Parts: sequence; C-alpha cells; structure tokens
Amino acid sequence: MFGGIGPEGQRRLGQAHVVCLGCGALGSVAANTLARAGIGRLTIVDRDVVEESNLQRQVLFDEDDVRDALPKAVAAERRLRRVNSQIDVRGLVADAHHANIEALIAGADLVIDGADNFETRFLLNDACVKHGIPWIYGACIGSYGLSMVVIPGETPCLRCVVEGAPPPGLTPTCDTSGVIGPVVNMIASIQCAEALKLLTGQAHLVNRDMVTVDVWDARVQRMKVHALRDLGACPCCSHRRFEHLAAEHASQTTTLCGRNSVQISFPDDHTIDFDAVSARLAAVGRVQRNAFLLRCAIDTYDVTVFRDGRAIVEGTREPSVARSVYAKYIGI
Amino acid sequence: MPSVIVFIPGPLRPYCAGRAELPVDADTVGEALEVLEQSQPALYRNVCDETGAVRRHLNVFVNTDNVRDLDGVRTALRQGDVVTILPAVSGG
Repeated sequence: MFGGIGPEGQRRLGQAHVVCLGCGALGSVAANTLARAGIGRLTIVDRDVVEESNLQRQVLFDEDDVRDALPKAVAAERRLRRVNSQIDVRGLVADAHHANIEALIAGADLVIDGADNFETRFLLNDACVKHGIPWIYGACIGSYGLSMVVIPGETPCLRCVVEGAPPPGLTPTCDTSGVIGPVVNMIASIQCAEALKLLTGQAHLVNRDMVTVDVWDARVQRMKVHALRDLGACPCCSHRRFEHLAAEHASQTTTLCGRNSVQISFPDDHTIDFDAVSARLAAVGRVQRNAFLLRCAIDTYDVTVFRDGRAIVEGTREPSVARSVYAKYIGI
Repeated sequence: MPSVIVFIPGPLRPYCAGRAELPVDADTVGEALEVLEQSQPALYRNVCDETGAVRRHLNVFVNTDNVRDLDGVRTALRQGDVVTILPAVSGG
C-alpha cells in the first residue's frame, strides 16, 4: 500500500463522500479514479446524454451507451458499480443551478469540478465557500488545462483568482478548439491526487498553487495565487456575498461546450408528460424515448427533453433560436 | 530597458500567429501590455478590455508571482523576467 495513504488513510477514504459535479471528460476520469481508490460514497451529477463525440476522451462511456442514449450519470453509475461493488455510487441526472446546488453538495466531504462552463463553477464556488466544503477546480481546452484546490477559510477561492467570466464569444471553447484526452487525464489526475490528500486528513500536503499543464508543450507550471485571499477584496470568501447563489433569475439557456447545442432549463420543478409530448411530436418528426428522455428530430434540430422539462436543442448555438424551437414544439 | 519574454499559453496563441513567446522591451507589466497593443492587437483585445484593464478571467504573472500580489500593471520588470498571461478556461 502507498505509504502516503496507509491503512488509516484507506479507512478514511472508505468513509468519505465525494460529489463529482459534471461527468464529461474531467468528471469521468475523476469518478473512475476515485471509485477505484475506494471512496465510500460517490455522487455523480450530470445533465447530459452520452454522444459519440464524447468517446474520444470521456473514459467511462462506450458505444452501447451512445446507442442507448443513456444519461451520463446513469451510464457512469452502471459502469462504476461494476468497477467497485464495495462502494456506494449514485448517478443523479440533474442540471446544477442556483436553486439546487446546495442540496446537490450537501453532506459532501469534497466536490470535484467536472463542469463545462464558468457559470456552474462560480455557483459551485459560492456553495462550497458558504458551507465550508473543499472543492477542486479543473478545466481544459485544447492541450491546456488548469487546476486549483479551494479550501474555504484557508486558500483563495475561485473568485479570488478568477474575478469574473469572460464575455460571451471571447474565449475558445471545445467547439472551436477541441480538447484532447491526455490533458483531460492530467488535470483530472491532479484533481484526484489533491482530493486523496484532503480526504485522508493531510490538508497540509495540498498544493496551494494554480497548476497549469500543456501536454503539447510538455509544460507543467505552478503559479502562486495563495496571497490573493489576503487582499480581502473577494466578494465571495472575504465578504460572504454569494452573488451566484442569490441570482434571482437563473440563466435559462446555456450554450454547451463542444457541440452545436443549447440547453434550456428551468429552476422550478416540472414533470413532463412524455406520452402527451411524444404524441404531439410524432406529427413533426421521428421520436425516440426511454425512461429518462425523449428525443425528436425537428427540421435541422435534434431536441432532447428530460423528465423535468429541461431540453437540449442540438443544431444551434443561439439561445434565442433554441428557445423558439422549445416554445414551438414542446411548449413553455 | 529590460528585455523580457511574454509567455502565451495555448488558448491565446491563435491571436498571435501561434507564437508561444513574444520578446518585449519594457520597464513594467503595463508597458509590456502597451507594446502588445501595438504589435499584437488581436491578442491585446483578448487580454485587456476596452478600458485597458486586464480582463477578469485572466491573471498575469511575473515569473510565478501574480501581479495582483505585487504592484499590478505597475510591477517593475527585470532583465530576463517571464511575463505569463494565464487565461481561465471553461471546458471540462
């Protein structure tokens, strides 16, 4: 056994509860690693469905999952139960937003960031700082990635370091730049190594720098960020103003990283009547459905609707177009 | 005037013809950015906003120190320093 963990550390891992928020590229590598490490309780939250283009980097999924149109959280849970039957793995098909993020991470000892957008990360940062839950930022694009550990009360939080999201359209996305598996594996592995230290009670060993990796440059750097917390200017961790949690109107549309798609979601609870919706949609396009979702090809769009009313409109990156398609064929 | 290297991470290289390192002569970080405004305008627009402030999703480091811990864009540069412009990214 690795001396840095030891029998006592392994026992602690078996009692730990980790939430993977997002199970795309980073999240699937991280969940796989943590399940095999023996994390006692693993909750995997993801809003998305496995698609063929995911398979190049999202290691938990396969072509069967694509064919069956399985939600990633469901596919991940099934896979990881076969990997390690001694742990409790739960997949939650859900979109994290300001009204549910605190419930999603409640009781977690640590959260792994597997999100694919800034909005979710700032929301996660607010929730984790508010509740004193450590979380580990990770993000990738192309061959480049970043990671940073946030220990509320000890280290800078995300908003200390990244003061705000870039304006829309400014930065490259998975749509424009792609992302390669090696950097995903590097960043998720760094996230997991730090997680293992924290979960075994060794916070003093945690790297407090921002780590950047570029696998195409074969370059790994550690950049100092720890003093940013001491500036006392952070609205989140210095002033405890949780602006993202307090959003009166959650963003209802999100352009999805890596695909020509827009998600439409609703903060309030809804339950979609699949029978009624599929009967209506059958007149306009071919409908496919399973227990979790309903999918229909309409004009140049593929619309996937989940039980809670959330939809992914594939075929556009324009929120207004997606809203129009939703309103026209699903009904708001 | 010290000669320094501005290091450009991968996500920003499309805005400077793919170059990873840009040699610049400048006394301060702010002066280095002004040089980029002239020599690499597309890159500059991605790094600084319309008011000339460094955009909020980016951090600028001199060697491994964040300039916000130093004197911001007034941070003095020395011969051979490496100025790294580090963008946060959103993919996952």
